[in-house]
Amino acid sequence: MKAVYIVIPAYNEETAIGQVVEDVLKEGFSSIIVVDDGSRDNTAAVATKSGALALRHKINRGKGAATRTGIEAALFLGADIVVTLDADGQHNAKEILDLVQPIIHNECDVALGTRQIITGTMPRYKVAHNKIANTITMLYSGIRVQDSQSGFRAYSRHACNYLDTTSDAYEYESEIIRLIAAHKLSYKEVSISTVYTDYSTSKLQKQDISNGIRTVYKMLWKALS
Amino acid sequence: MLVSNVHFYQIAILVISCLMIFFGLEKTIKQKPGQTFLKLAIRIIVWGGMAAVALFPSFTNYLAHFIGIEGNVNAVILTGFLLVFLIIFKILSVVERIEQDITRLTRKEALKKLKQ
Repeated sequence: MKAVYIVIPAYNEETAIGQVVEDVLKEGFSSIIVVDDGSRDNTAAVATKSGALALRHKINRGKGAATRTGIEAALFLGADIVVTLDADGQHNAKEILDLVQPIIHNECDVALGTRQIITGTMPRYKVAHNKIANTITMLYSGIRVQDSQSGFRAYSRHACNYLDTTSDAYEYESEIIRLIAAHKLSYKEVSISTVYTDYSTSKLQKQDISNGIRTVYKMLWKALS
Repeated sequence: MLVSNVHFYQIAILVISCLMIFFGLEKTIKQKPGQTFLKLAIRIIVWGGMAAVALFPSFTNYLAHFIGIEGNVNAVILTGFLLVFLIIFKILSVVERIEQDITRLTRKEALKKLKQ
């Protein structure tokens, strides 16, 4: 039986993190690492109370930095497979098994959760954002994936050893795609659903407007420097 | 060039340039951390160039001819912009490196709990 660790980067998520951890536990995955990325609320305390191992960044460093901290912790604790998912409840814990299966059966090194772009269910701005991000990621990495910005992914231990990421913020997801291409890791796109609650949608909008331009700038900067 | 023809701005730029080059030389001689010959060379080229232009304004004509732009003032401004862009690029590189160092330290601190 392979050791599966769930890594959840979280920033000011005290209202959602408890439910997310409980949902993951219900699916039979008990090794959960929540990386509290310098939150100003009680994210770490709520995560610990819910049954996760909470690690804490003393200052906010961004989703990418927190995810990498969680992956390093999981490897240290002996993980064979690491699954990352968002802390705002937009990912369905029931689908963790779907992501993990291809790695257990040695079909690939990385399973990329892929949200289906269905007009009507996905907010319009989100569809546009995804298309632009996918195109930029293709130019940046050389491979085209259907959802370059999904945080719901699974990695084999072998793959984790190659994910020497330096991106601290949201460009992290695209950097992973670039590293998959650079190290010729095998990957599989696995269809996932996305839960758009009022809470997650309000967070997504903030991220899209303020961080979209910053993400592109950071990716360009990394490509040039 | 007669001393009576020298303007105040020329003396000011010359003094500032000499000081900046002196500080660079001092850092290199004392082998201060982070100081390299490349940095010293850039400092001498930038500040030495400014001093040269201030003391010998006719030098800008040669610069304009060399760059291929008519009008010596335009050539100086263009060169200035180029240098400013290089400096901004360098500053952004340093900021990026410091950001990554902060992240590494923050991560090390967070993982300390596990490794103890």
